[in-house]
Amino acid sequence: MLRSSLLAVVLVTAAPLSQAQSTLKIAILGPMAFVQGENHWAGAEMARDEINRGGGISVGGKRLPVELVRIDTNEIQSVPDATNAIERAITRDKADFLVGGFRSEAVLAMQEIAMDNKKIFLGAGAAHSKLGINVETNYDRYKYWFRVTPVKDADLVRQSFAALGEVAAQIRKQLGKDSPKVAILAEKAVWVEGIVAAAQKNLPAMKMEVLGLWQPSAVATDVTAELAAIDRAGADIVFTLLSGPVGIVVGRQMGERGMKAIAFGINVEAQKDAFWQATASKGNYVSTLETIAEVEITPKTVPFVRAFKARFKKSPTYNAGTYDAIMLLKEAIEKAETTDADKLVPVLEKTVFTGITGVIEFDKRHDPLWGPGKVPGLAVQWQDGEKVPFWPPQVKGTRPFKMPAPK
Amino acid sequence: MLQDILVTGLVNGGVYALLAIGFSLVFGVARIVNIAHTAFYMLAAYCFYTLLVTAKLNVVLAALIAIAAVTALAALCYRLVIEPVRSHESAVLIATIALGLIFQELMLVAFGGNFLGIPSAIDGVVSFLGVSIPYQRLLILVVAAAVLAATWVVLYRTRLGLAIRATANDLEVANLMGMDVNRVAMVAVALSVALAAIAGVVVAPVFVVDPLMWLAPLVTMLAIVVLGGLGSLKGSLLGALIIGYVEAITVFALPQGAFLKGAVALSIMVVVLLVRPEGLFGVAFEEER
Amino acid sequence: MKNPLAFAARWAWVNLKNEVLVLPSRTLVAAWVLAVLLLPYAWPDPYVLRIVTLTCLFAIFAASWDLLAGYAGQVSFGHALFFGAGAYTSALASLKLGLSPWITVWLGAALAALAGLVVGFLCLRLRGAYLSLATLAFPLIATGVLFAFPGFSGGELGISGLRPVASTRVGNYYVAAIALLAAAFGLWKLADSKFGLVLHAIRDDEVAARASGINTPRYKLVVFTISAAVAGLAGALFAHYLRVAGPSALEVALSFQVVIWGVFGGVATIYGPVAAVFILYPLTEWLGSFKAVGELRLLAFAVIVLAVLLFMPRGITPWVRDKIEAKCQRCKQRNGAWRAQCRLCGAPLKELRAVRAG
Repeated sequence: MLRSSLLAVVLVTAAPLSQAQSTLKIAILGPMAFVQGENHWAGAEMARDEINRGGGISVGGKRLPVELVRIDTNEIQSVPDATNAIERAITRDKADFLVGGFRSEAVLAMQEIAMDNKKIFLGAGAAHSKLGINVETNYDRYKYWFRVTPVKDADLVRQSFAALGEVAAQIRKQLGKDSPKVAILAEKAVWVEGIVAAAQKNLPAMKMEVLGLWQPSAVATDVTAELAAIDRAGADIVFTLLSGPVGIVVGRQMGERGMKAIAFGINVEAQKDAFWQATASKGNYVSTLETIAEVEITPKTVPFVRAFKARFKKSPTYNAGTYDAIMLLKEAIEKAETTDADKLVPVLEKTVFTGITGVIEFDKRHDPLWGPGKVPGLAVQWQDGEKVPFWPPQVKGTRPFKMPAPK
Repeated sequence: MLQDILVTGLVNGGVYALLAIGFSLVFGVARIVNIAHTAFYMLAAYCFYTLLVTAKLNVVLAALIAIAAVTALAALCYRLVIEPVRSHESAVLIATIALGLIFQELMLVAFGGNFLGIPSAIDGVVSFLGVSIPYQRLLILVVAAAVLAATWVVLYRTRLGLAIRATANDLEVANLMGMDVNRVAMVAVALSVALAAIAGVVVAPVFVVDPLMWLAPLVTMLAIVVLGGLGSLKGSLLGALIIGYVEAITVFALPQGAFLKGAVALSIMVVVLLVRPEGLFGVAFEEER
Repeated sequence: MKNPLAFAARWAWVNLKNEVLVLPSRTLVAAWVLAVLLLPYAWPDPYVLRIVTLTCLFAIFAASWDLLAGYAGQVSFGHALFFGAGAYTSALASLKLGLSPWITVWLGAALAALAGLVVGFLCLRLRGAYLSLATLAFPLIATGVLFAFPGFSGGELGISGLRPVASTRVGNYYVAAIALLAAAFGLWKLADSKFGLVLHAIRDDEVAARASGINTPRYKLVVFTISAAVAGLAGALFAHYLRVAGPSALEVALSFQVVIWGVFGGVATIYGPVAAVFILYPLTEWLGSFKAVGELRLLAFAVIVLAVLLFMPRGITPWVRDKIEAKCQRCKQRNGAWRAQCRLCGAPLKELRAVRAG
């Protein structure tokens, strides 16, 4: 009698306590019907399983397993859908932390809601600087936002010139000319503005002649007119700044025309495994900046990529950086010994975390620092159906850049 | 540069013409603004992709099966969805929009949001006037010309064509004369979607295939048929060439404004409508009730 | 007046009893108004509040489309132009000029009205499908222009960091809800007036209307302007609610969406599209929140629309109205369907209904 009533008392008092926090809920926000959301989720699952296998996250003496909440924002098709989704994640699903995002216009709107609710939001997809600038201009409101991947658009400029500089010598030798001709093919978008201006200034300084600037729409399905003009101008290099499906069209139509120019720059579609098939095997020699590949950016990169490929049967894209986001969050929580957002922010700001994309450190805009020894980025080139990393040469696993045979 | 514009404009115009004729036909005969027209084009592309790449069938066989399958589907959709609401014009409109969305989402579920590439039927380029034209694009031009000729023959040299033209001209009188107007409308729909399917099979290899691929051609095609005059095949052809050339000129004259080629084409359409409210060759439907 | 409050209460009661409660459709509307006003107290869930706030804003948009397309017969396929114009104007004014959103939303509506005037003018001579497809072009041209001036418009990102109109969640909800009630009632009264009658005439037979001496171009310009202004107001409120005004406010999908809402709800009613939005938008959101359906929400939406349309081709509200109300054959006034006699003229309702059904 005494034992059962004691048990009852224990259960009654334990029940609300156990409901207080039995798991750590992390909402993964992304367009789940598309490849970006799939990668968000896959990277997160890898992190969750690794953490839970190790017993969970230790917070003030307790060990909490990680529970993922899959939130389809549908941001590619609708910005209000994304805001509804994040509101649901916060108020209905009671997520403790938010990770993900892809389309910058939607992430800007989602950021507002996350900040309203003072929830930590780790970005794993949108590159636009405005997200970081908000942190600088209104720190108290936006401090809960941290961008884990990719590096912000301004750093992509530096990355592309660094890579181009390395390759330039090879290009000059193969072409036998001192001053290769460059055509800039940039989609019409805000993120290219800074890079285009920088290219127009820097390329002549790197002894390359800028022939002109062509700006198709990011969703253009046909660039024959642009390519015909570029061909006629006699370009040797097509410096590409493309993030939309136009990247596939460029790769394919350049290959079909047998253009002598080589495509180099940023081509987000070319980062995906499906690029080769999408260009009907014509996208040879197309090169682009990348974030993750099966090379040793850090000791964690290669094992992660191999495990990812084994589990999901495809290579990770940069959106799988949700893995890094969750792992560095775990480290911060364990260091701060709390899940309270206000206490976590200063700890996150001092993070120096070795992830799969590099060593992640945040600047005062909560953007990841770019550079060798930090998040260096990579450049890859499609060579006969294989995506070959070729830059930075000091990273183990990179192979040489190939030029098409001279005609 | 002039030859670039001439050739590019012609080739792109041919692509657009193939899409526009079918739409014009179904509007002229059945008075249906078929928003799902390019969605059928998309379905044909996906079907062709599956048969060609996944099932590895012969290219001609895959094309024929894809065209037949999509046409049959269209006839089915017409019977199940459009016919019951034929008398309510706005309901028909929404029905076609809903169909388009359904096809889009089904493709999204079946194939994912990835972009797919269909290999060209004929690889390689040919040089004409110093401009490189891939063989696939020449194929499109040839097919567009053949299809236009065939459509003209059917419309003007067969009894079926006569029935279609009569129904297009005056529905009530055609009915009174004993023609089964419903059957004629169904045939017109089938013919129109067959044309869209042919376009899907032949054109899709030069573009990318994804579930949203039907929206951009939809707008361009609507601009073309409006510009040329709804219901006029001649108008659609001319409109396609005009839009093709306008886009080529925009890109060549203003490389930094290449993204504006769609907006410029639409502006041309608006200007033409200001001057001729029924399009270039359109017939004003004054007595429609 | 002895006691103004008692007088007002009695007036309200008399009207309620004699005008509203006699007809089931009006009772439904009254119940809906009450529900909209009391929602934050009945169900204070922030997620639900967000959905219903967006529903109210889209309902304003749909009602404005109905005035133009349903009543005046100018079926616009590019109504998102006005929505986007209102959104961008209000965003730019509040950010660049530092004005309060309470002022800038009206600026947004004003610029949208101007856009409506221009579009209406350009489309004066167009009929039927030509008008619809021409209107489709305008938002696309506008998007192209916005992309051409990214420093000004923010390009593909739009303008972000806007201030909300009210400072609390509930405050924002009431802004949207009151705006909806005012707009819907205003438009409905307008459509019910002589102006609306003229619009009907223009839709049914413009030539005959012209022959009767009606200055149809002027009426068309006026209806374009009014419809655009209301749509612009909705767009401006939407931008401030989302805190972002981007090219998604101009997209083709939004224009198509409002056409679907309009026809699904029943054109030329004003309350029809509003009902459609209130049914479809929360329904699709709710369906989308189920893990199984989640990514298929648009498919579910399209299938529902298609299925319903097959059974109710004129839209939902006319069908529902026909089921719960009957029209008296003698005095043409509507009555509750269960009644035996017309409430106004006393003519029998039942046998005539039997004739109709037979």
